[in-house]
Amino acid sequence: MMSGRALLGRLAPWLACLGLLGVWQIAALILDTESFPTAWQAVRAIPSILGDKESLINILASLRRMAIGFGVGVMMSIPLGLMMGRSRGVASFFNPLLMVIYPVPKAALMPIIMLWLGVGDVAKTLVIFLGVSLPVIYHSFQGAKAVEEKMLWSGAAMGLSAAQRMIRIVLPAALPEILTGCRTGLVLALITMITSEMIARQSGAGNILFNALDMGQYDTVYAMIIIVGAMGIGLDAAFENLRGRLVKWSEPGFDIPLSFA
Amino acid sequence: MKLVPSRSNFETEPAAARQPAAAMIEIDRVSQVFRTSGRQDHLALSDISLTIEDGAFVSILGPSGCGKSTLLYIVGGFVSPTEGAARMKGRAITGPGPDRGPVFQEFALFPWKSVLGNVMYGPRQQGVKSAEAEAQSRALLEMVGLKGFEHFYPKELSGGMKQRVALARTLAYHPAVLLMDEPFGALDAHTRTRLQNDLLNIWERDRKTVLFVTHSVDEAVYLSDKVVVMTRSPGRIKKVVDIDLPRPRRRSELLLDPRYQKYIVDIERMIDDTSENELRP
Repeated sequence: MMSGRALLGRLAPWLACLGLLGVWQIAALILDTESFPTAWQAVRAIPSILGDKESLINILASLRRMAIGFGVGVMMSIPLGLMMGRSRGVASFFNPLLMVIYPVPKAALMPIIMLWLGVGDVAKTLVIFLGVSLPVIYHSFQGAKAVEEKMLWSGAAMGLSAAQRMIRIVLPAALPEILTGCRTGLVLALITMITSEMIARQSGAGNILFNALDMGQYDTVYAMIIIVGAMGIGLDAAFENLRGRLVKWSEPGFDIPLSFA
Repeated sequence: MKLVPSRSNFETEPAAARQPAAAMIEIDRVSQVFRTSGRQDHLALSDISLTIEDGAFVSILGPSGCGKSTLLYIVGGFVSPTEGAARMKGRAITGPGPDRGPVFQEFALFPWKSVLGNVMYGPRQQGVKSAEAEAQSRALLEMVGLKGFEHFYPKELSGGMKQRVALARTLAYHPAVLLMDEPFGALDAHTRTRLQNDLLNIWERDRKTVLFVTHSVDEAVYLSDKVVVMTRSPGRIKKVVDIDLPRPRRRSELLLDPRYQKYIVDIERMIDDTSENELRP
């Protein structure tokens, strides 16, 4: 039997969503313009998008690019970040490079990348990869830097080589921080996925959204925004679930119950 | 390799009483300079020579900042001395190894491993089979009084329990020398006393060589065969005091023993002479 407070805690995210839709509905009714459909109109447009084979293929193509960009980004960024965190030389080599790339909106690179790689999957996946990489590198770097020296010494005394210490001490010790970076990276992957499709219009969820906008199908535009938002929440909840299991040993920190997990 | 006879500081010890025991650790004219950008170079250790015999419990005692931990790190192979050399059983120490097991004030446990996982880590690394490593580790945990906590994570333990795990984890790979760096410094007085007693009991069983860094005079006298008193920065050896108290030692008896009290008073006076201010008793 759940206590009232616990029940409220579980329902809170759903109540927040309902509240948002309610405010939207009222605002749209008051403003009453064609370009701002009511929440109900937008929600009603969702089944027709998800029921349409063409749209589904587009959305799945987006998700596939996102998964590849995220996966490759994480796999390359974690080792780089960890090496930067443990070696001053590696850090001072890569830091300026990353500092140059950091403030550049990754989607702004899209036109240049399109010149090289065309408008296909490769260009868009590369942009997602860039978007994911920086937060993951940064957090892996911070996590590796914070690993207690004495922990590494303890490992060295047990006979672990430098490479073994990296994989069997630095990596697990930095894992909570790495996963924080991955969580940010996941959200950024979704954002860069949409923006890349906004610039290279060919396929994908972003393509549906902006085509609908061009054609003045505002209920579809807002329905797509809801779908993208729901994907974000779903992915984040799934990731948080995984993260909770991987680092259940780490110090309990206060986590804003943002997710639906 | 040139074997420089280490200058013994054990002048207080009558030659006849000297054990023929082999030297386990030799510290030979070691100096350590820390180069800091901007500031002046800091001489942490100056010309330290010391021999630690097999099976001896030796404490290095000094005010904070006298480089006593650095000396221990040099023996551990974690830090290379600027000058001089440290040797173990006659062989130059060039890096860390499982023959010298550290126990740090900060515990330095692996937080992602359970208590049992931490203790098994060393033996597993040495290639001991999983079942065997587990059996040994469980026995060690029982010895340090942590039976029933095998599947706890470090964050779930108190400071005293963490240090017990750290000790068991180090004992598990059978180092010939235990290097203890202010191991009880972060613990409250009661826990500290209990761990000192337990450490003595464990040490009585196999008489490993122990190098024990502390800034507590009574801790050093209570535990050790020899107390190396160091001066404040730059760290030099002021005197090596042989603690001629019977073993096994009982705290309740020692506290009433005038010899024990005299050692403490003498050593405290020695430290007072060298470090006028910023003294940590």
